[in-house]
Amino acid sequence: MAEKLVEIKNLKQHFNVGKANEVKAVDGITFDIYKGETLGLVGESGCGKSTTGRSIIRLYDATDGQVLYEGESVHGKKNKKDLKKFNRKMQMIFQDPYASLNQRMKVMDIIAEGIDIHGLAKDSAERKKMVYDLLETVGLNKEHANRYPHEFSGGQRQRLGIARALAVDPDFIIADEPISALDVSIQAQVVNLLKELQEEKGLTYLFIAHDLSMVKYISDRIGVMYFGKLVELATADELYANPMHPYTQSLLSAIPLPDPNYERNRTRKAYDPAVHNYADGEDVRMREVSPNHFVDCSEKEFAELQERLATKK
Amino acid sequence: MEKILQVKDLELSFNTFGGEVKAIRGVNFDLYKGETLAIVGESGSGKSVTTKSIMRLLPEESAEFKNGEILFGGRDLTKLSDKEMQKIRGKDISMIFQDPMTSLNPTMPIGRQITEPILKHQKISKDEAKKVAVDLLRLVGMPKPELRMKQYPHQFSGGQRQRIVIAIALACNPQILIADEPTTALDVTIQAQILELMKDLQKKIDTSIIFITHDLGVVANVADRVAVMYGGKIVEIGTVDEIFYNPQHPYTWGLLSSMPSMDAEDAKLYAIPGTPPDLLDPPQGDAFALRSEYAMKIDMEQPPPFFKVSDTHMAATWLLHPDAPTVEPPEMVIERMKKFPGSRYYEGSAN
Repeated sequence: MAEKLVEIKNLKQHFNVGKANEVKAVDGITFDIYKGETLGLVGESGCGKSTTGRSIIRLYDATDGQVLYEGESVHGKKNKKDLKKFNRKMQMIFQDPYASLNQRMKVMDIIAEGIDIHGLAKDSAERKKMVYDLLETVGLNKEHANRYPHEFSGGQRQRLGIARALAVDPDFIIADEPISALDVSIQAQVVNLLKELQEEKGLTYLFIAHDLSMVKYISDRIGVMYFGKLVELATADELYANPMHPYTQSLLSAIPLPDPNYERNRTRKAYDPAVHNYADGEDVRMREVSPNHFVDCSEKEFAELQERLATKK
Repeated sequence: MEKILQVKDLELSFNTFGGEVKAIRGVNFDLYKGETLAIVGESGSGKSVTTKSIMRLLPEESAEFKNGEILFGGRDLTKLSDKEMQKIRGKDISMIFQDPMTSLNPTMPIGRQITEPILKHQKISKDEAKKVAVDLLRLVGMPKPELRMKQYPHQFSGGQRQRIVIAIALACNPQILIADEPTTALDVTIQAQILELMKDLQKKIDTSIIFITHDLGVVANVADRVAVMYGGKIVEIGTVDEIFYNPQHPYTWGLLSSMPSMDAEDAKLYAIPGTPPDLLDPPQGDAFALRSEYAMKIDMEQPPPFFKVSDTHMAATWLLHPDAPTVEPPEMVIERMKKFPGSRYYEGSAN
């Protein structure tokens, strides 16, 4: 198995701690991200998938648990120098290409901001060249550098967001719903670009989305979240072929596909958390049901799933 | 089948500081009783503007009907006065919007919002209207409707809010329901519930639905017929099977191939190159020609007319002209055509 790049250990992110309206947005999740892979994170709005991404990159201070990047803790005290070094390795692409670019800055300065902060360019000529190269990498051209964000379409802006993330030459990119705000024909362009960049630069992605067909297309492995918990984690093909957690099954059965014959025969499964009927204090955690396929289950459910697998074979 | 709405040669422009934006450039379609017509297309293709012009919801000062008519019940909606239009809006034709939070009034209990159109359009007392509202809430699957009548929109979840919007839209048993991306803001599981609800209600009250969306999965689920819009025009229209299994227009091909299928291998996604046309200065010929690898010389010069594929299926592309060369559609489209009797790639029934 490949090398671990990021390890997330029992990460918890609670808001309004100690108050009546405490929200446990992320409630103890554990998973690893391997070097060079794309890990997809799916779930409904409010399940904590974006919060997970933002906690990993330290936009929030984690309530509990650890995020290790190449064995080093992301959270906790860091001096400015260490933090800077760390920030270079991890970048983020945001959902809304309209809100995530400063309207008053030229594209040149938006993309070069990271270059300036980290002092990556010797002089202004090199800085210019770096920006031009980045624009080319994402399929724009150098004339675009002197424009403002409002002069671009949604897909082009998302390319700018990607160029900005690439400016500091990161290893790991968190893409938080990078294509949700784009039209279908443009989505494919951006997804192809992300895939090409990954092959070229050996990037690792955490791809957060709710569009399950796109997630399956881009991801190597997929984690499914439900109410702040990870309920299933498996390779993309395995997850779609053999969803084991009832929530995953319900989620998959709800996706409409562009195929009228399939749609006429699709039956939707509803998920009711009561089906588990867990006793108080029952040990529910992620268990490896088949190789590399983890399901959040109790000891009893684990045995049942194993039995079901055995009879299938 | 009975036609209840006819849109004929509709042309509409917005007058802006930048010039005249030709948002709709000659749209024709009929809506039959009890059917669901889906309109698909990307942002700026004119799908929302078309339906908003039916409802006459566009700003009077900038939007201008250039040509054509919208016939409903023997009247041309483009010519009606505001007052006459108000009698139709919410009664005969009603609309569901994309964002259920902004289409409900946050300062008004939902009971009052549902009874509002009933009191406006029907001669019944407040108490009776309340009873109707409670029934409607029950119809759209809201638990404990009597208690929830007094609550405000913020006390409901996104899916529940959309149910309330649907209840308001159905309050006067409209003949036409226009749904503009009604599930785009919702999660997939909630989306599935709302789509089921809409189909269910359609059967019960026999209304016709115009369903606008850019999600082809949703189209496959709800539509009887599909109109594909691009650059202010309908480029292809047909039954849902004809559009999904025997598409003819290169833009429809591009749309269908740019969605990954669930059993797709890791092949590269087909991406339509370029961006949609600028409607300030629309292209002379086929609006899609600049993005299409199938474009011929005539595509740059003359807009293609509609060619008939079957009685229910028409497409505006020069490729269907008898003199046009035969071209090979993208592979994913050929895969689809194999399932359609009547297409040239049909491989017999799968069984």
